[in-house]
Amino acid sequence: MSERFFPDSMPAPLASATTLPWWEAAAEHRLVVQRCTSCEHTRHPPAPICPECRSGESDWKEVSGRGEVYTFTIVHRPIAAGQELPYLVAVIALEGSGGLRIISNLVGVDPGEVAIGLPVEVVWEEMSADLAIPRFRPVSEEEPR
Amino acid sequence: MASNGIKDRVAIVGMGCTPFGERWDKSGEDLLVDAAKDVYASANVEPDAVDAYWLGTMGSGTSGLMLSEALKLPYKPVTRLENMCATGSEAMRNAAYAVASGAYDLVMAIGVEKLKDSGYSGLVTSRPPDDGTSASMTAPAMFSLLAPAYAKKYGVDEGELKEVISRIAWKNHCNGAKNPKAQFRKEVPMERIQNSPRVAGMFGIFDCSGVSDGSAAAILCRAEDAHKYTDSPIFIKALSFAAGPAEGAYSQDYDFTTFQEVVASAQDAYGQAGVANPREEISMAEVHDCFTATELVLMEDLGFSARGEGWKDVLGGRFDGDGAQPVNPDGGLKSFGHPIGASGLRMMYEMWLQLRGEAGERQIAEPKLGLTHNLGGQPGRCVSFVSIVGK
Repeated sequence: MSERFFPDSMPAPLASATTLPWWEAAAEHRLVVQRCTSCEHTRHPPAPICPECRSGESDWKEVSGRGEVYTFTIVHRPIAAGQELPYLVAVIALEGSGGLRIISNLVGVDPGEVAIGLPVEVVWEEMSADLAIPRFRPVSEEEPR
Repeated sequence: MASNGIKDRVAIVGMGCTPFGERWDKSGEDLLVDAAKDVYASANVEPDAVDAYWLGTMGSGTSGLMLSEALKLPYKPVTRLENMCATGSEAMRNAAYAVASGAYDLVMAIGVEKLKDSGYSGLVTSRPPDDGTSASMTAPAMFSLLAPAYAKKYGVDEGELKEVISRIAWKNHCNGAKNPKAQFRKEVPMERIQNSPRVAGMFGIFDCSGVSDGSAAAILCRAEDAHKYTDSPIFIKALSFAAGPAEGAYSQDYDFTTFQEVVASAQDAYGQAGVANPREEISMAEVHDCFTATELVLMEDLGFSARGEGWKDVLGGRFDGDGAQPVNPDGGLKSFGHPIGASGLRMMYEMWLQLRGEAGERQIAEPKLGLTHNLGGQPGRCVSFVSIVGK
């Protein structure tokens, strides 16, 4: 069982035909981005149509799960019962994604130590048997990048 | 963006608005009845004279029946619509097009929201979007991203920016204190605003708009019929709307200091109305100050301030009730309150009062053109409405 950061009472996402492959990869702890097979443009979150060329054809590209904090905010009010406060919401610029960002949470870090540009890596939180949600934590200094 | 506009083809000939606030004594239907009575009286018409209705509510009702049942309308066309926090403006936009087309002679746009009995504080949305990772992104969290981004881009010290956004709250409370229908009718000292409990990022409680119940309504007709109903109608100069493709929150090109949707809708509206210099030509505005930093960014997106200069205009008092270009003279979402479906029509209610010289203590001297701006969504992923009205 992975480490838990948010309570079970957090609203759970629903998968659609478009997002299901993304969730299946997440369950395997693989962070992927959708890639247009016509023009190679990547997009996130998963969507039926390419914003660049409007093609409906796409596949999935695995990314490293590393990135950096583009911006963040400290939230002092809970969204779900039993939540630890404050919590951190961040916009992460994803390495090797073709210029994409993901909105997620920063975990395992003191709010006072977060800064724009902080290098982060994905950590998977298993909310239930078939739902893993990507959060991000600072890249540990011992490990080579 | 292509639009033809309906400049001076449609008039507003009556408006109504309930007090906004914690209306535990009223249901959504009660509020609709109150706003409808107010607007029928304002336009000097009997209910049977109104040919068709547009009802805006984000979540307090599900169909036209909410209105036809409440008002006991006999087999009239009633459309219920929703477009996030811009719902009230959308009701008016669609109603205006219906009279402009000639399909109906006299129509009503009415908006309502009953937020205080939902069991939650604030807005409740049931669907965590898309990949689920932003489920923890509350409304104040989303908009709180604007403040540090703005400070960094324009080299404003974060402490100074806190003063700028606090002054927006202070100004809107000063205006609301003069408004008998506002939810919060009290001036609040700057120091208290600046030290209020934190909600998200730089935002404290006083940086957030009021969560409230309320309803507002307009009656519209073609311009040539306007004087049948009132001696002082107001005329629609522009109506514009933009829904973005929502790349902003995820594309590395977006920097959280603008709403592209607002820029697009404002430019379209200025084109329709023939406004070349909004800073000089727009006498007053009601804008979507869901959070204080939103109002700051809007001043630049609407062209009232040059890029990077809006914070100086805020501190200099340009947008105060007695400033050169008053913004949210009725107290705005901050102080008048934000019952979602009603807010866009509440903004127009203030334009109606101001342009007719009926705003009492809040009256602006000789306003010519007024602008309303209504936003739904979040930075990078939103819908935006802009109207321009005048005499």
